[in-house]
Amino acid sequence: MNFRRKLMGVFVLTVVLSVATVAGIVSWVVRRSFDKADDERTAALVAQFRREFDRRGKEVNHSVETIAGSDAATRIALAVNQNVADYGPYLNDAESIADSHRLDFLEFADDQGMIISSAQWPARFGYKESFFPAVAGANTNAFLKQEELPNSVALGIFALRANTVGDKPLYIIGGRQLDKDFLASIELPAGMRTMLYQNLSGTFSAQNLIDPSGSVQSSEQLAGLIKQVQQQAKESAAIIHWSSSADDDEVVRAIPLTGIDQKLLGILLVGNSRRAYVELGRHIRSAAFLALGAGIVLAVVFSSWAAARVTRPVEQLVVAAREVAGGNWSAQAPVASSDELGELAASFNQMTHELLDQKERLVQTERVAAWRELARRLAHELKNPLFPLQLTVENLLRARQQSPEQFEEIFQESSETLLAEIANLKTIIGRFSEFSKMPQPQWQKLDLNEMVRNVGRLFQAQLRAPERTAIECQLQLADDLSPIAADPDLLHRALSNLVLNAMDAMPEGGTLTLRTSRQGENARIEVSDTGKGLTPEECERLFTPYYTSKAHGTGLGLAIVQSVINDHGGRISVHSEPGQGTAFVIELPSNMEKVALLKAEAKNDRL
Amino acid sequence: MRLTCLRWLVVNSLLLSALYANAATRPRYGGILRISTSSVLNSIDPGDTPDSLLRRNLTRLLFDTLVVVDDNGTIQPSLADSWNSSSGGQRWQFTLRHGITFSDGSPLTSDLVAASLRRANPAWKVVAQADVVSIELDAAVADFPAELSLTRNAIVRRDDKLLGTGPFVVSQWEPQRRLVLTARDDYRDGRVFLDTIELEMGKPLREQNIAFDLGRSDVVEISPEQSRHAAADGKKLMSSSPTELMALLFARDAQSVTEQKLREALAMSIDRPSMNRVLLRNNGEAAGSLLPIWMTGYGFVFSADANQARAKQLRAEAGPARAWTLGYDNDDPLARVIAERILLNARDAGLSVQTTLSASADIRLVLIPLALTNERIELSELVSAMGLPAIKLSSSDSESVYGAEETLLQSRRVIPVLHLRHVLGVNANVQGWIAHRDGSWDVQNVWLSGK
Repeated sequence: MNFRRKLMGVFVLTVVLSVATVAGIVSWVVRRSFDKADDERTAALVAQFRREFDRRGKEVNHSVETIAGSDAATRIALAVNQNVADYGPYLNDAESIADSHRLDFLEFADDQGMIISSAQWPARFGYKESFFPAVAGANTNAFLKQEELPNSVALGIFALRANTVGDKPLYIIGGRQLDKDFLASIELPAGMRTMLYQNLSGTFSAQNLIDPSGSVQSSEQLAGLIKQVQQQAKESAAIIHWSSSADDDEVVRAIPLTGIDQKLLGILLVGNSRRAYVELGRHIRSAAFLALGAGIVLAVVFSSWAAARVTRPVEQLVVAAREVAGGNWSAQAPVASSDELGELAASFNQMTHELLDQKERLVQTERVAAWRELARRLAHELKNPLFPLQLTVENLLRARQQSPEQFEEIFQESSETLLAEIANLKTIIGRFSEFSKMPQPQWQKLDLNEMVRNVGRLFQAQLRAPERTAIECQLQLADDLSPIAADPDLLHRALSNLVLNAMDAMPEGGTLTLRTSRQGENARIEVSDTGKGLTPEECERLFTPYYTSKAHGTGLGLAIVQSVINDHGGRISVHSEPGQGTAFVIELPSNMEKVALLKAEAKNDRL
Repeated sequence: MRLTCLRWLVVNSLLLSALYANAATRPRYGGILRISTSSVLNSIDPGDTPDSLLRRNLTRLLFDTLVVVDDNGTIQPSLADSWNSSSGGQRWQFTLRHGITFSDGSPLTSDLVAASLRRANPAWKVVAQADVVSIELDAAVADFPAELSLTRNAIVRRDDKLLGTGPFVVSQWEPQRRLVLTARDDYRDGRVFLDTIELEMGKPLREQNIAFDLGRSDVVEISPEQSRHAAADGKKLMSSSPTELMALLFARDAQSVTEQKLREALAMSIDRPSMNRVLLRNNGEAAGSLLPIWMTGYGFVFSADANQARAKQLRAEAGPARAWTLGYDNDDPLARVIAERILLNARDAGLSVQTTLSASADIRLVLIPLALTNERIELSELVSAMGLPAIKLSSSDSESVYGAEETLLQSRRVIPVLHLRHVLGVNANVQGWIAHRDGSWDVQNVWLSGK
């Protein structure tokens, strides 16, 4: 991963972590606030419910008290005290009186609790009031009570009063139902609602749960909460998931409602919609994602800018370094700033400048050294034939002075020697001349295997010459080797040079291996011997002109070979270890396009 | 002179008073009689169902039957002058009265009578010959003419509209709401005193009372619990004999001995006397039998008293049982309170009963008008009205009817609860209204005094 991507990653990660942290903190704070507000709203609603309950209770108390003091009640009370057996005339009194006082429940009961008239269940005349005598005689405030009806049981706020015109009191029990209308009468803040569960048994029944609109949909969701209150008889709360959408979630607080005997008669459920909270949470998330997206974009842009600002000089430095590595010692990195990167670029430029200077000095030094070596070689090479020439001439002079008679004979002999040494000098000079005038390759299609076979064939006699230990020559030629474009004469000379070197490396005999192979599009020729091998230092300097590890030789053979191979666009390398032999590897490109080019030129020329 | 003058003044005053008194009690033509009822009708066709007291009364105003049955149960001629039977009562011949016309003035013919009877009784073989209508039955029926007094056997000419031979003709008809009848000038027995009868249907009892007190209605229904107050308020009440049966009708026959026991327990748990005393204010009778005692004379044999101990015992013997649903007419407040009372009584016996307004209840509290002709026809009509399998009674003797009724009650398909009277409140200006045992409106001699 490059520096730019790393920098971008760091920026993006920083932005993500920052946004996530902020979003989390905001969500936490919002949730805390909502929970607190929910508690306050629920407490306010419960207080309102209790106020409404008390208000209704007072109304019921007032109504029942009014009825107890009415003429109708007094008339019934008189009948009770007169032991009238037939209460039929009063059968419908409760219903009409309840209507006039807007009571849902009203019953007149005699001193024994026997119902004389019932508004809610007229047919109950003669039956005994269920909760009598539990509260008989008690001039209680309003209380919660379950009232049995023909096919159901209703929950209501009741009040009890007695009319005591005679010895036997007449009990008036009136009440109002806690139903959906009661729930609807409670003013609720937006997002809140009330439900009422009538506790008829210890188990949950959906039919007993109502809200201001009537029955509650999916009421089974509340079963757990209601059961909890039924078991513990204390306030409890839970989050109810009405659907798969979190928008419909509701925090429901269940408040137990008990009767005069502290029995759990109902459960008030206050629901507070979490829609606003969920929506706010969604908005926070949306804002966070938006900020995250924007942050990431900005991070990418900023990091790109920053990275570019930082990495461009570095990249320019890398390019310059690569140019230097490629041989362009004059490559320069631009100095765009005065910061550390600018200093780095300046240092690089200074370094290349110094390297160039050093190189030039080195080249100069090498050139001097080469000239010295050349001079030393020339001196050495020329000294060998000059010394016999000097001796021969001195011998001639001495012979002319000391034995003129033998001068002619000696002259003849010395002349042969002089000519031989002069020829030797010519040969030496010709070699140097040849190196200085290496010809350009004459491209033509060449079968390398055939050329290698010819070289092997050429040296066959020398390899098996009787004056030396025989060297075995092995040819390992690749069948799939394609022809290449090359100069056969130059390559032949180069390969012959390598074979001669190999023969020189194996004075005690050995094996000379000539191997061809295909390496992709390139052809490969390997000339290896089993001689004494070379040291690494020798390997490094092997292709340096005028360097030789042999006692005799100009040191130009391998330099010529390298020059030929370079002219063919190939390269030569040496692999050797002392005692393990030496292998020269030549890699040559196909160069067939050059043959095609030559043909095209020839065709044009003909035209 | 002063004494003479004084005597003259006294005599004249007495004469004027007598004349005025005579004028007030003398029937006079004209006026609109306004009747209110809580019942409703969808049609005025006598052959339509269900049968009801209102349909019977309207049929009498618009149509005639061949014969009628008076309060004593005696068959009286109506459209038929005379009749005789042959083949031991299997073939009957009725001779029509002459000069009778339908409300459009067309004459009543034996063919029209035969067509009307054939439509109402497809099983009868009815033949018209001159002014005689012959009816041949599947089997001999000794008291067959009484059947011809039933509402469904009223003679109706069905052309574009229904035409009858009754004293009134329909001038305005709004089903279930209002019916206006106009007196026929050419009625066979002479024009009735009233010009018009306006009938308002589906009016709750409370509204009827208000309308009555405000003078907007002349004849209203009085609920049993209101009857005492109404009498105390000085209203003129016309009470019939028990003319309607309120009973519990099971939707199906008992499927097992256990169910038989449960039904018997229910029958025994019902405190009928208490219902009659408190809910009906004694304007009815606790019913242990289907037919009222005044008609059969044997009704006391079937006990109407509750026996909670026995009911509980039967309930315990029956073992676990599912709850019954009890349906009733929600428009009838009396039916509601009686149903709820039955529910309470049943619960005392350990039975589980729930009231319902659904039509598919296990038990229905039904109110069935009685035919009030004779016991045989009464029981047959009752069984038919309840949708029970028809019973065949060839004779009208009490022993046969008793046996048939006992069998019916033993089946536990139906449990009688109460026999109800029909009580009408009649305005003081309505003169000549006679309270018949069957609760029928006899407007033939009714006139309005103008007070």
